[in-house]
Amino acid sequence: MSNTISAQNLKIGYSKILAEINKFNIKQGEIVSIIGKSGIGKTTFLKTIANLINPIEGKLSIFESEPKKERGLIGYIPQKLGLVKHSSVFSNVLQGAVCEEPIWRSITGFHEQKTLGIVQDTIEIMGLKDKIDEPISKLSGGQQRRVAIARTMAQNPKIILADEFLSELDAKTAENVWKNMLNYVKEKNITLIIVEHNIEWAKLADRCFEMELKENKEYSSLEEIFNV
Amino acid sequence: MFNDILDFFRKRKYLTFVLTMFILTWLVFMDLIDGELYRLENSLANLSTFFYKSLWPPDWKVFSIKQYNCNSPAAPWPLPANFFCSQGYIGISETLEMAFVSTGFGFLISLPLAILASRNLYPDAVALPVRTILSGMRTLPALIWAIFFVVMVGLGTMSAVFAMTLYSVGHLGKLQYEAIEGLAKDPIDAARAMGLSNSEIVIRVIIPESANYLISQLLYMFEYNVRNGSIIGIVGGVGIGFYLADYLDAQLYQRVMALLIALFFVVLVIDFISIRIRSYFIEETLNKSYTFENIFKPR
Repeated sequence: MSNTISAQNLKIGYSKILAEINKFNIKQGEIVSIIGKSGIGKTTFLKTIANLINPIEGKLSIFESEPKKERGLIGYIPQKLGLVKHSSVFSNVLQGAVCEEPIWRSITGFHEQKTLGIVQDTIEIMGLKDKIDEPISKLSGGQQRRVAIARTMAQNPKIILADEFLSELDAKTAENVWKNMLNYVKEKNITLIIVEHNIEWAKLADRCFEMELKENKEYSSLEEIFNV
Repeated sequence: MFNDILDFFRKRKYLTFVLTMFILTWLVFMDLIDGELYRLENSLANLSTFFYKSLWPPDWKVFSIKQYNCNSPAAPWPLPANFFCSQGYIGISETLEMAFVSTGFGFLISLPLAILASRNLYPDAVALPVRTILSGMRTLPALIWAIFFVVMVGLGTMSAVFAMTLYSVGHLGKLQYEAIEGLAKDPIDAARAMGLSNSEIVIRVIIPESANYLISQLLYMFEYNVRNGSIIGIVGGVGIGFYLADYLDAQLYQRVMALLIALFFVVLVIDFISIRIRSYFIEETLNKSYTFENIFKPR
Protein backbone atom coordinates (compact mmCIF):
# COMPACT_ATOMS: atom_id res chain seq x y z
CA MET A 1 0.00 0.00 0.00
CA SER A 2 1.47 3.35 -1.01
CA ASN A 3 1.97 6.23 1.40
CA THR A 4 -0.55 9.05 1.65
CA ILE A 5 2.03 11.43 3.10
CA SER A 6 5.71 10.82 2.76
CA ALA A 7 8.60 13.03 3.88
CA GLN A 8 12.30 12.34 3.63
CA ASN A 9 15.11 14.52 4.93
CA LEU A 10 12.68 17.38 5.00
CA LYS A 11 13.77 20.69 6.50
CA ILE A 12 11.02 23.12 7.33
CA GLY A 13 10.74 26.68 8.63
CA TYR A 14 10.18 30.23 7.46
CA SER A 15 13.40 32.13 6.78
CA LYS A 16 15.57 29.67 8.75
CA ILE A 17 15.29 25.97 9.44
CA LEU A 18 13.04 25.25 12.41
CA ALA A 19 12.80 21.47 12.25
CA GLU A 20 13.90 18.45 10.26
CA ILE A 21 11.84 15.40 9.46
CA ASN A 22 14.04 12.50 8.45
CA LYS A 23 11.36 9.94 7.84
CA PHE A 24 7.60 10.34 7.99
CA ASN A 25 5.48 7.83 6.07
CA ILE A 26 1.76 7.78 6.71
CA LYS A 27 -0.74 5.45 5.08
CA GLN A 28 -4.35 6.19 4.25
CA GLY A 29 -6.69 5.94 7.23
CA GLU A 30 -3.95 6.22 9.89
CA ILE A 31 -4.51 8.46 12.90
CA VAL A 32 -1.30 10.22 13.85
CA SER A 33 -0.54 12.54 16.71
CA ILE A 34 2.42 14.88 17.03
CA ILE A 35 3.50 16.17 20.42
CA GLY A 36 6.20 18.59 21.48
CA LYS A 37 6.86 21.87 23.23
CA SER A 38 5.51 25.20 22.01
CA GLY A 39 7.39 26.92 19.19
CA ILE A 40 9.26 23.78 18.20
CA GLY A 41 7.83 23.52 14.67
CA LYS A 42 4.71 21.33 14.94
CA THR A 43 2.36 23.92 13.38
CA THR A 44 4.97 24.73 10.73
CA PHE A 45 5.04 21.04 9.80
CA LEU A 46 1.25 20.92 9.47
CA LYS A 47 1.31 24.09 7.36
CA THR A 48 3.99 22.55 5.14
CA ILE A 49 1.81 19.48 4.56
CA ALA A 50 -1.14 21.80 3.88
CA ASN A 51 0.97 23.53 1.21
CA LEU A 52 0.78 26.86 3.02
CA ILE A 53 4.57 27.00 3.43
CA ASN A 54 7.22 25.63 1.08
CA PRO A 55 9.78 23.25 2.57
CA ILE A 56 13.31 24.64 2.75
CA GLU A 57 14.96 21.35 1.76
CA GLY A 58 14.06 17.71 1.17
CA LYS A 59 11.15 15.86 -0.29
CA LEU A 60 7.52 15.88 0.71
CA SER A 61 4.91 14.00 -1.25
CA ILE A 62 1.18 13.78 -0.87
CA PHE A 63 -0.34 10.80 -2.70
CA GLU A 64 2.99 10.14 -4.35
CA SER A 65 3.28 13.59 -5.91
CA GLU A 66 4.50 17.06 -4.93
CA PRO A 67 2.11 19.02 -2.71
CA LYS A 68 -0.19 21.07 -4.87
CA LYS A 69 -3.45 22.89 -4.42
CA GLU A 70 -6.13 20.32 -5.02
CA ARG A 71 -9.68 21.31 -4.27
CA GLY A 72 -10.97 19.63 -1.15
CA LEU A 73 -8.08 17.17 -0.72
CA ILE A 74 -6.81 18.50 2.63
CA GLY A 75 -8.93 19.73 5.51
CA TYR A 76 -6.98 22.01 7.83
CA ILE A 77 -8.22 23.02 11.26
CA PRO A 78 -5.88 25.73 12.61
CA GLN A 79 -5.26 26.26 16.31
CA LYS A 80 -7.78 29.09 16.40
CA LEU A 81 -10.07 27.08 14.11
CA GLY A 82 -10.03 29.54 11.22
CA LEU A 83 -13.77 30.11 11.26
CA VAL A 84 -15.27 33.22 9.73
CA LYS A 85 -16.49 34.81 12.95
CA HIS A 86 -18.94 37.22 11.37
CA SER A 87 -20.66 34.56 9.29
CA SER A 88 -23.27 32.02 10.33
CA VAL A 89 -22.71 28.33 11.07
CA PHE A 90 -24.35 27.53 7.71
CA SER A 91 -22.05 29.83 5.79
CA ASN A 92 -18.93 28.42 7.47
CA VAL A 93 -19.89 24.82 6.74
CA LEU A 94 -20.81 25.81 3.19
CA GLN A 95 -17.21 27.02 2.78
CA GLY A 96 -16.14 23.39 3.08
CA ALA A 97 -18.95 22.01 0.93
CA VAL A 98 -18.21 24.28 -2.05
CA CYS A 99 -15.07 22.20 -2.66
CA GLU A 100 -17.42 19.63 -4.17
CA GLU A 101 -18.82 22.00 -6.80
CA PRO A 102 -17.36 24.11 -9.62
CA ILE A 103 -15.75 27.47 -8.75
CA TRP A 104 -18.33 29.49 -10.71
CA ARG A 105 -21.14 28.13 -8.55
CA SER A 106 -19.20 28.91 -5.39
CA ILE A 107 -18.55 32.50 -6.51
CA THR A 108 -21.99 33.30 -7.85
CA GLY A 109 -23.86 31.61 -5.01
CA PHE A 110 -25.89 29.35 -7.33
CA HIS A 111 -25.14 26.26 -5.26
CA GLU A 112 -26.19 22.78 -6.26
CA GLN A 113 -28.99 21.21 -4.21
CA LYS A 114 -26.57 18.40 -3.39
CA THR A 115 -24.11 20.89 -1.82
CA LEU A 116 -26.80 22.52 0.29
CA GLY A 117 -27.96 19.04 1.36
CA ILE A 118 -24.41 18.14 2.48
CA VAL A 119 -24.27 21.32 4.59
CA GLN A 120 -27.63 20.60 6.26
CA ASP A 121 -26.72 16.95 6.93
CA THR A 122 -23.29 17.74 8.36
CA ILE A 123 -24.67 20.40 10.66
CA GLU A 124 -27.29 17.93 11.85
CA ILE A 125 -24.70 15.20 12.48
CA MET A 126 -22.67 17.62 14.61
CA GLY A 127 -25.79 18.51 16.62
CA LEU A 128 -25.83 22.16 15.58
CA LYS A 129 -29.19 22.23 13.79
CA ASP A 130 -30.67 24.79 16.18
CA LYS A 131 -27.60 27.03 15.74
CA ILE A 132 -27.56 26.97 11.96
CA ASP A 133 -28.15 30.72 11.51
CA GLU A 134 -26.17 31.88 14.55
CA PRO A 135 -22.96 33.85 13.97
CA ILE A 136 -19.85 31.95 15.10
CA SER A 137 -18.97 34.56 17.71
CA LYS A 138 -22.15 33.70 19.61
CA LEU A 139 -21.20 30.02 20.01
CA SER A 140 -19.30 28.39 22.87
CA GLY A 141 -15.77 27.02 22.39
CA GLY A 142 -17.07 23.44 22.04
CA GLN A 143 -19.71 24.44 19.51
CA GLN A 144 -17.14 26.39 17.49
CA ARG A 145 -14.93 23.30 17.33
CA ARG A 146 -17.87 21.25 16.14
CA VAL A 147 -18.47 23.82 13.38
CA ALA A 148 -14.81 23.53 12.36
CA ILE A 149 -15.17 19.74 12.17
CA ALA A 150 -18.46 20.09 10.27
CA ARG A 151 -16.76 22.39 7.76
CA THR A 152 -14.01 19.81 7.24
CA MET A 153 -16.51 16.96 6.98
CA ALA A 154 -18.55 18.86 4.37
CA GLN A 155 -15.36 19.19 2.36
CA ASN A 156 -15.03 15.39 2.17
CA PRO A 157 -11.22 15.45 2.43
CA LYS A 158 -8.75 12.58 2.23
CA ILE A 159 -6.46 14.11 4.86
CA ILE A 160 -7.34 16.16 7.94
CA LEU A 161 -4.72 18.26 9.72
CA ALA A 162 -5.84 19.48 13.14
CA ASP A 163 -3.71 21.85 15.20
CA GLU A 164 -4.40 21.61 18.94
CA PHE A 165 -8.08 21.85 18.25
CA LEU A 166 -8.97 20.34 21.63
CA SER A 167 -7.13 23.00 23.62
CA GLU A 168 -9.12 25.40 25.80
CA LEU A 169 -11.92 22.83 26.15
CA ASP A 170 -13.00 21.18 29.38
CA ALA A 171 -12.32 17.43 29.58
CA LYS A 172 -15.91 16.37 28.89
CA THR A 173 -16.38 18.61 25.85
CA ALA A 174 -12.92 17.68 24.53
CA GLU A 175 -13.81 13.98 24.80
CA ASN A 176 -17.07 14.58 22.98
CA VAL A 177 -15.39 16.55 20.17
CA TRP A 178 -12.58 13.99 19.88
CA LYS A 179 -15.07 11.09 19.63
CA ASN A 180 -16.99 12.88 16.90
CA MET A 181 -13.81 13.35 14.95
CA LEU A 182 -12.54 9.77 15.47
CA ASN A 183 -15.84 8.18 14.41
CA TYR A 184 -15.88 10.29 11.28
CA VAL A 185 -12.30 9.63 10.16
CA LYS A 186 -12.56 5.89 10.85
CA GLU A 187 -15.84 5.57 9.01
CA LYS A 188 -14.51 7.43 5.95
CA ASN A 189 -10.95 6.00 6.09
CA ILE A 190 -9.42 9.50 6.33
CA THR A 191 -5.83 10.17 7.38
CA LEU A 192 -5.83 12.35 10.49
CA ILE A 193 -2.77 14.20 11.75
CA ILE A 194 -3.33 15.98 15.00
CA VAL A 195 -0.92 18.23 16.86
CA GLU A 196 -1.67 17.91 20.54
CA HIS A 197 -0.24 19.19 23.80
CA ASN A 198 -2.18 16.80 25.96
CA ILE A 199 -0.36 13.48 25.99
CA GLU A 200 -3.56 11.63 27.00
CA TRP A 201 -5.30 12.66 23.77
CA ALA A 202 -2.17 11.99 21.76
CA LYS A 203 -2.07 8.40 23.08
CA LEU A 204 -5.42 7.66 21.45
CA ALA A 205 -3.84 7.86 17.98
CA ASP A 206 -2.51 4.85 16.04
CA ARG A 207 0.93 6.41 15.84
CA CYS A 208 2.55 9.11 17.89
CA PHE A 209 5.52 11.30 16.95
CA GLU A 210 7.44 13.69 19.13
CA MET A 211 9.17 16.81 17.93
CA GLU A 212 12.01 17.81 20.20
CA LEU A 213 15.20 19.83 20.23
CA LYS A 214 18.18 17.63 21.02
CA GLU A 215 21.36 18.84 22.63
CA ASN A 216 23.92 20.44 20.31
CA LYS A 217 21.32 20.79 17.55
CA GLU A 218 20.15 24.05 16.03
CA TYR A 219 16.75 22.76 15.07
CA SER A 220 14.32 20.17 16.32
CA SER A 221 13.63 16.77 14.80
CA LEU A 222 10.64 14.46 14.59
CA GLU A 223 10.78 10.92 15.93
CA GLU A 224 8.21 8.20 16.32
CA ILE A 225 7.38 7.26 19.89
CA PHE A 226 4.91 4.45 19.28
CA ASN A 227 3.06 2.61 16.53
CA VAL A 228 0.07 0.57 17.69
CA MET B 1 20.31 66.08 41.25
CA PHE B 2 20.65 65.86 37.46
CA ASN B 3 20.62 62.06 37.68
CA ASP B 4 17.44 62.21 39.77
CA ILE B 5 15.69 64.27 37.09
CA LEU B 6 16.95 61.90 34.39
CA ASP B 7 15.71 58.95 36.39
CA PHE B 8 12.32 60.63 36.89
CA PHE B 9 11.79 60.92 33.13
CA ARG B 10 13.25 57.53 32.35
CA LYS B 11 10.61 55.92 34.53
CA ARG B 12 7.82 57.97 32.95
CA LYS B 13 8.21 57.23 29.26
CA TYR B 14 4.76 58.42 28.17
CA LEU B 15 5.03 61.68 30.08
CA THR B 16 8.48 62.28 28.58
CA PHE B 17 7.12 61.53 25.10
CA VAL B 18 4.15 63.90 25.47
CA LEU B 19 6.35 66.66 26.93
CA THR B 20 8.96 66.29 24.18
CA MET B 21 6.24 66.35 21.53
CA PHE B 22 4.72 69.47 23.05
CA ILE B 23 8.04 71.33 23.30
CA LEU B 24 9.06 70.34 19.79
CA THR B 25 5.70 71.33 18.30
CA TRP B 26 5.75 74.64 20.16
CA LEU B 27 9.26 75.47 18.93
CA VAL B 28 8.37 74.71 15.30
CA PHE B 29 5.16 76.73 15.68
CA MET B 30 7.07 79.72 17.06
CA ASP B 31 9.52 79.45 14.20
CA LEU B 32 6.65 79.36 11.69
CA ILE B 33 4.91 82.47 13.04
CA ASP B 34 8.17 84.36 13.63
CA GLY B 35 7.25 84.81 17.27
CA GLU B 36 4.33 87.09 16.45
CA LEU B 37 2.22 85.81 19.30
CA TYR B 38 1.03 89.37 20.13
CA ARG B 39 -1.35 89.04 17.18
CA LEU B 40 -3.55 86.86 19.34
CA GLU B 41 -4.25 89.81 21.65
CA ASN B 42 -7.28 91.22 19.82
CA SER B 43 -8.18 88.05 17.98
CA LEU B 44 -11.32 87.24 19.96
CA ALA B 45 -12.55 90.82 19.80
CA ASN B 46 -11.98 90.82 16.02
CA LEU B 47 -13.89 87.58 15.66
CA SER B 48 -16.71 88.89 17.80
CA THR B 49 -17.00 92.05 15.69
CA PHE B 50 -17.00 90.03 12.46
CA PHE B 51 -19.51 87.57 13.86
CA TYR B 52 -22.04 90.17 15.10
CA LYS B 53 -21.57 92.71 12.31
CA SER B 54 -21.29 90.40 9.32
CA LEU B 55 -22.31 86.81 10.09
CA TRP B 56 -25.17 87.09 12.58
CA PRO B 57 -28.09 86.68 12.20
CA PRO B 58 -27.93 84.13 9.37
CA ASP B 59 -29.91 85.11 6.33
CA TRP B 60 -32.38 82.27 5.80
CA LYS B 61 -33.50 83.80 2.53
CA VAL B 62 -31.11 81.34 0.90
CA PHE B 63 -33.92 78.82 1.43
CA SER B 64 -36.63 80.96 -0.12
CA ILE B 65 -35.03 82.91 -2.99
CA LYS B 66 -36.20 81.16 -6.14
CA GLN B 67 -33.54 79.90 -8.48
CA TYR B 68 -34.39 80.90 -12.03
CA ASN B 69 -35.52 78.18 -14.41
CA CYS B 70 -36.72 75.96 -11.54
CA ASN B 71 -40.20 74.44 -11.63
CA SER B 72 -40.39 72.24 -8.54
CA PRO B 73 -43.75 72.07 -6.73
CA ALA B 74 -44.40 74.34 -3.77
CA ALA B 75 -43.07 73.04 -0.45
CA PRO B 76 -45.55 72.23 2.33
CA TRP B 77 -45.85 74.44 5.44
CA PRO B 78 -43.77 75.36 7.50
CA LEU B 79 -41.14 75.39 4.75
CA PRO B 80 -41.04 78.46 2.46
CA ALA B 81 -43.07 77.90 -0.71
CA ASN B 82 -39.96 78.18 -2.88
CA PHE B 83 -37.93 75.84 -0.69
CA PHE B 84 -37.37 73.15 -3.36
CA CYS B 85 -36.30 75.84 -5.83
CA SER B 86 -34.11 77.73 -3.37
CA GLN B 87 -30.37 78.10 -3.82
CA GLY B 88 -29.74 76.53 -0.41
CA TYR B 89 -31.83 73.42 -1.12
CA ILE B 90 -30.48 72.98 -4.66
CA GLY B 91 -26.90 73.50 -3.48
CA ILE B 92 -27.13 71.05 -0.59
CA SER B 93 -29.04 68.38 -2.52
CA GLU B 94 -26.59 68.63 -5.44
CA THR B 95 -23.66 68.27 -3.04
CA LEU B 96 -25.29 65.24 -1.38
CA GLU B 97 -25.96 63.62 -4.75
CA MET B 98 -22.38 64.23 -5.88
CA ALA B 99 -21.03 62.78 -2.62
CA PHE B 100 -23.32 59.75 -2.94
CA VAL B 101 -22.37 58.98 -6.54
CA SER B 102 -18.64 59.52 -6.11
CA THR B 103 -18.56 57.44 -2.90
CA GLY B 104 -20.49 54.66 -4.64
CA PHE B 105 -18.24 54.65 -7.71
CA GLY B 106 -15.19 55.05 -5.49
CA PHE B 107 -16.14 52.02 -3.39
CA LEU B 108 -16.89 49.83 -6.39
CA ILE B 109 -13.55 50.66 -8.02
CA SER B 110 -11.44 50.66 -4.86
CA LEU B 111 -12.53 47.28 -3.46
CA PRO B 112 -11.09 45.12 -6.27
CA LEU B 113 -7.95 47.29 -6.28
CA ALA B 114 -7.61 46.97 -2.48
CA ILE B 115 -7.92 43.18 -2.75
CA LEU B 116 -5.14 43.12 -5.35
CA ALA B 117 -3.05 45.43 -3.12
CA SER B 118 -3.34 43.16 -0.06
CA ARG B 119 -0.06 41.42 0.56
CA ASN B 120 -1.71 38.57 2.48
CA LEU B 121 -3.64 37.63 -0.68
CA TYR B 122 -1.39 38.50 -3.61
CA PRO B 123 2.39 38.51 -4.07
CA ASP B 124 4.30 41.79 -3.90
CA ALA B 125 4.68 41.77 -7.70
CA VAL B 126 0.92 42.39 -7.92
CA ALA B 127 0.32 44.27 -4.66
CA LEU B 128 3.06 46.91 -4.93
CA PRO B 129 2.14 48.30 -8.39
CA VAL B 130 -1.53 48.54 -7.34
CA ARG B 131 -0.49 50.33 -4.15
CA THR B 132 1.52 52.78 -6.23
CA ILE B 133 -1.56 53.55 -8.35
CA LEU B 134 -3.63 54.10 -5.20
CA SER B 135 -0.95 56.38 -3.71
CA GLY B 136 -0.87 58.34 -6.96
CA MET B 137 -4.61 58.92 -6.74
CA ARG B 138 -4.25 60.06 -3.16
CA THR B 139 -1.31 62.35 -3.74
CA LEU B 140 -3.34 65.00 -5.52
CA PRO B 141 -6.12 66.50 -3.43
CA ALA B 142 -9.60 66.26 -4.92
CA LEU B 143 -9.44 70.00 -5.61
CA ILE B 144 -6.53 69.55 -8.03
CA TRP B 145 -8.22 66.56 -9.69
CA ALA B 146 -11.26 68.82 -10.12
CA ILE B 147 -9.15 71.39 -11.99
CA PHE B 148 -7.92 68.65 -14.37
CA PHE B 149 -11.45 67.43 -14.99
CA VAL B 150 -12.76 70.96 -15.49
CA VAL B 151 -10.12 71.30 -18.22
CA MET B 152 -11.15 67.94 -19.69
CA VAL B 153 -14.96 68.05 -19.54
CA GLY B 154 -15.74 71.62 -18.51
CA LEU B 155 -17.47 73.07 -15.46
CA GLY B 156 -20.29 71.14 -13.85
CA THR B 157 -21.24 68.15 -11.75
CA MET B 158 -19.43 65.65 -13.98
CA SER B 159 -15.97 67.06 -13.34
CA ALA B 160 -16.72 67.32 -9.61
CA VAL B 161 -17.96 63.72 -9.44
CA PHE B 162 -14.94 62.39 -11.37
CA ALA B 163 -12.53 64.28 -9.13
CA MET B 164 -14.16 63.06 -5.95
CA THR B 165 -14.41 59.50 -7.28
CA LEU B 166 -10.71 59.39 -8.06
CA TYR B 167 -9.78 60.75 -4.66
CA SER B 168 -12.22 58.31 -2.98
CA VAL B 169 -10.62 55.36 -4.80
CA GLY B 170 -7.16 56.31 -3.51
CA HIS B 171 -8.34 57.00 -0.01
CA LEU B 172 -10.78 54.08 0.39
CA GLY B 173 -8.37 51.68 -1.33
CA LYS B 174 -5.70 52.33 1.29
CA LEU B 175 -8.12 51.97 4.20
CA GLN B 176 -9.51 48.78 2.66
CA TYR B 177 -6.22 47.00 2.03
CA GLU B 178 -5.04 47.90 5.51
CA ALA B 179 -8.23 46.41 6.95
CA ILE B 180 -7.82 43.26 4.84
CA GLU B 181 -4.19 42.84 5.87
CA GLY B 182 -5.21 43.22 9.50
CA LEU B 183 -7.57 40.23 9.35
CA ALA B 184 -6.78 37.06 11.28
CA LYS B 185 -4.61 34.68 9.28
CA ASP B 186 -6.26 31.44 10.35
CA PRO B 187 -9.49 31.64 8.30
CA ILE B 188 -7.47 32.49 5.18
CA ASP B 189 -5.05 29.62 5.86
CA ALA B 190 -7.92 27.15 6.37
CA ALA B 191 -9.54 28.25 3.10
CA ARG B 192 -6.21 28.06 1.22
CA ALA B 193 -5.46 24.59 2.55
CA MET B 194 -8.89 23.48 1.29
CA GLY B 195 -7.74 24.54 -2.18
CA LEU B 196 -10.21 27.39 -2.62
CA SER B 197 -9.31 29.95 -5.26
CA ASN B 198 -8.42 33.55 -4.36
CA SER B 199 -11.77 34.82 -5.59
CA GLU B 200 -13.57 32.28 -3.40
CA ILE B 201 -11.43 33.30 -0.41
CA VAL B 202 -12.36 36.93 -1.02
CA ILE B 203 -16.08 36.17 -1.18
CA ARG B 204 -16.23 33.58 1.62
CA VAL B 205 -13.64 34.94 4.08
CA ILE B 206 -12.34 38.43 3.32
CA ILE B 207 -15.62 40.24 2.65
CA PRO B 208 -17.56 38.77 5.62
CA GLU B 209 -14.63 39.26 8.01
CA SER B 210 -13.95 42.83 6.97
CA ALA B 211 -17.57 43.90 6.33
CA ASN B 212 -17.68 46.04 9.50
CA TYR B 213 -14.60 47.98 8.45
CA LEU B 214 -15.70 48.29 4.84
CA ILE B 215 -19.11 49.68 5.77
CA SER B 216 -17.61 51.98 8.34
CA GLN B 217 -15.07 53.32 5.82
CA LEU B 218 -17.77 53.71 3.17
CA LEU B 219 -19.92 55.82 5.49
CA TYR B 220 -16.92 57.85 6.59
CA MET B 221 -16.01 58.49 2.96
CA PHE B 222 -19.56 59.63 2.17
CA GLU B 223 -19.45 62.07 5.08
CA TYR B 224 -16.01 63.23 3.95
CA ASN B 225 -17.22 63.68 0.37
CA VAL B 226 -20.13 65.84 1.51
CA ARG B 227 -17.62 68.26 3.04
CA ASN B 228 -15.22 67.78 0.15
CA GLY B 229 -18.05 68.46 -2.30
CA SER B 230 -18.55 71.91 -0.78
CA ILE B 231 -14.98 72.84 -1.67
CA ILE B 232 -14.98 71.11 -5.07
CA GLY B 233 -18.15 73.02 -5.89
CA ILE B 234 -16.17 76.25 -5.77
CA VAL B 235 -13.98 75.00 -8.64
CA GLY B 236 -16.63 73.00 -10.48
CA GLY B 237 -19.30 75.67 -10.21
CA VAL B 238 -21.82 73.27 -8.66
CA GLY B 239 -23.40 72.36 -5.36
CA ILE B 240 -23.26 74.33 -2.17
CA GLY B 241 -19.66 75.32 -2.91
CA PHE B 242 -20.76 77.37 -5.90
CA TYR B 243 -23.23 79.37 -3.81
CA LEU B 244 -20.73 79.73 -0.96
CA ALA B 245 -18.13 81.15 -3.36
CA ASP B 246 -20.77 83.40 -4.89
CA TYR B 247 -21.88 84.81 -1.54
CA LEU B 248 -18.30 85.22 -0.32
CA ASP B 249 -17.45 87.21 -3.46
CA ALA B 250 -20.49 89.40 -2.92
CA GLN B 251 -19.64 89.69 0.82
CA LEU B 252 -23.07 88.29 1.74
CA TYR B 253 -21.65 86.66 4.88
CA GLN B 254 -25.03 86.18 6.56
CA ARG B 255 -26.09 83.93 3.70
CA VAL B 256 -22.78 82.07 3.99
CA MET B 257 -23.56 81.57 7.67
CA ALA B 258 -27.03 80.19 6.88
CA LEU B 259 -25.57 77.71 4.38
CA LEU B 260 -22.86 76.62 6.82
CA ILE B 261 -25.39 76.01 9.60
CA ALA B 262 -27.55 73.99 7.19
CA LEU B 263 -24.49 72.00 6.08
CA PHE B 264 -23.55 71.37 9.71
CA PHE B 265 -27.00 69.87 10.36
CA VAL B 266 -26.84 67.77 7.21
CA VAL B 267 -23.49 66.33 8.36
CA LEU B 268 -24.98 65.66 11.81
CA VAL B 269 -27.93 63.80 10.26
CA ILE B 270 -25.56 61.77 8.04
CA ASP B 271 -23.50 60.90 11.10
CA PHE B 272 -26.62 59.74 12.93
CA ILE B 273 -27.73 57.63 9.96
CA SER B 274 -24.18 56.21 9.73
CA ILE B 275 -24.31 55.10 13.35
CA ARG B 276 -27.64 53.38 12.73
CA ILE B 277 -26.45 51.64 9.57
CA ARG B 278 -23.18 50.61 11.18
CA SER B 279 -25.04 49.14 14.16
CA TYR B 280 -26.62 46.55 11.83
CA PHE B 281 -23.18 45.30 10.86
CA ILE B 282 -21.47 45.28 14.23
CA GLU B 283 -22.65 42.12 15.86
CA GLU B 284 -22.35 43.30 19.48
CA THR B 285 -25.01 45.86 18.70
CA LEU B 286 -27.14 43.66 16.45
CA ASN B 287 -30.08 43.67 18.79
CA LYS B 288 -29.65 47.17 20.10
CA SER B 289 -31.56 49.85 18.28
CA TYR B 290 -29.72 53.16 18.16
CA THR B 291 -31.82 56.10 19.24
CA PHE B 292 -30.80 59.62 20.22
CA GLU B 293 -31.59 58.60 23.79
CA ASN B 294 -29.15 55.71 24.07
CA ILE B 295 -26.45 57.51 22.10
CA PHE B 296 -26.23 60.14 24.82
CA LYS B 297 -26.98 57.83 27.75
CA PRO B 298 -23.89 57.10 29.86
CA ARG B 299 -22.83 53.43 29.82
